Amino acid sequence: MDYHVTYTEAELVQGLHARDQKVFSFLYDHYSPALYGVVVKVLNDHAQAVDVLQDVFLKIWRYADQYNEDKGRLFTWMLNIARNTAIDVLRSKAYKLEQKIQNITDDVHLNGGPLTVYQSIDHLGFSKVLDKLTKEQRTLIDLAYYKGCTQEEISRALDIPLGTVKTRLRNAIIQLRNILNK
Amino acid sequence: MDVQRYISSGILESYVFGLLPDAEQNEVETVVAQYPQVKAAVQELQLDRERFVQLYAMAPPAGIKDRLLDIIREEETPAGNVLLPEELRAPSAAPARATPVKRINGHKPSTEKIWKYIAAAIIALFLGSVILNFFFFSRSTDYKSRYQSLVAAKEKLDAQKESQSLTAHTELQKELDMLKDPAFKWIKLEGFGANAGQIVTVCWNPVSHAVFLMAQALPMPPAGKQYQLWAIRNKKLVDAGVFHGGAQMAQKIQSMKPAEAAEGFAITLENEGGSALPTMDQLQLSAKVQK
Repeated sequence: MDYHVTYTEAELVQGLHARDQKVFSFLYDHYSPALYGVVVKVLNDHAQAVDVLQDVFLKIWRYADQYNEDKGRLFTWMLNIARNTAIDVLRSKAYKLEQKIQNITDDVHLNGGPLTVYQSIDHLGFSKVLDKLTKEQRTLIDLAYYKGCTQEEISRALDIPLGTVKTRLRNAIIQLRNILNK
Repeated sequence: MDVQRYISSGILESYVFGLLPDAEQNEVETVVAQYPQVKAAVQELQLDRERFVQLYAMAPPAGIKDRLLDIIREEETPAGNVLLPEELRAPSAAPARATPVKRINGHKPSTEKIWKYIAAAIIALFLGSVILNFFFFSRSTDYKSRYQSLVAAKEKLDAQKESQSLTAHTELQKELDMLKDPAFKWIKLEGFGANAGQIVTVCWNPVSHAVFLMAQALPMPPAGKQYQLWAIRNKKLVDAGVFHGGAQMAQKIQSMKPAEAAEGFAITLENEGGSALPTMDQLQLSAKVQK
């Protein structure tokens, strides 16, 4: 992937460890749209998403020494922090499951809100990707990945047997991979 | 392990998309660390996820970056510390929440350990109390049954005593009756010959026809034999019932069959249960009734 890299992955990690503010600045410039996208998708609330994004970057800065490169790239680690922090906030708001589902139907992305499509997938076009997933597959991925619902919760909310949820979720992810890798 | 099968099982997709419970997630991480093939598959998936997430990428409002840079410049000062979100403020070095990338264990294990000890102690106490309960329960039922058997034994003894005193009383009454009633005649039968020294006293009431007997000095009969009393009437011996001999019976008044008339009494040794006719060669004692 082309990030207009001026730092290698190792240099970024080293820079974070060394508390290099230039590295932090670089990370923000390159990854904040993706992380902000995740946070907004989870919370569906732009004002709150700004606060959460700020927390996410402070955690990245503070906990850099906990990053373990054996478990994945730095970006993967940052994504996990963004998703988990946002889902924690979502849960602490004590959102009802129905509300979570409601949020998906009024999703800003599906209605074409302001967005920045990252350059690396320009050739795909994000609506083209999502069009290739069924509505159900999108709902399942959104509930599981962005709303942090357990498969049991999805099973209850959508009234689908747990085994079916598992199979369909897996198929949805595989389908997504196939589209992305085309 | 069948690595291909594991990769195609779908668990890695769930892992990368953060859908697994913690326990299963740790399992996957163990496998990833062991099998380079699995690790490669996970990395592929992570790249896919990064690309998927990029679909939703969105530029955050301007100004956040400057605020962040201000915070991290000031973070070592007390003023900057206040700007941090609560969970990131000093001195809380350990983060409150673990991310799937790296679990933060902090002091959790020691607390867990304490709880484990407490739980173990509670379980031990509980088991101990159960055992003691059983022990005391069986002891109490033991006491209960022993108490009941004692009560039963006492009641039995009381009943025996009562019946004994009753019989003793009736016996005493019979003796008194015999002594008081002037109609009673006392006939002392004494042994002669081989039976010298044997004494039996017969007590007969010619009015009521009642016959009693005391075998004051009469040996135990040979095995299979029994003493039988006969009333002598018109030179004939009439059965007056069998009775016991021996030292134990010496003081006892034995009730015999009534006799309407008697000139005398005789005692023979008969087969056990008595016989209809006397065996005359077994005549032991005899005496006439004094007119």
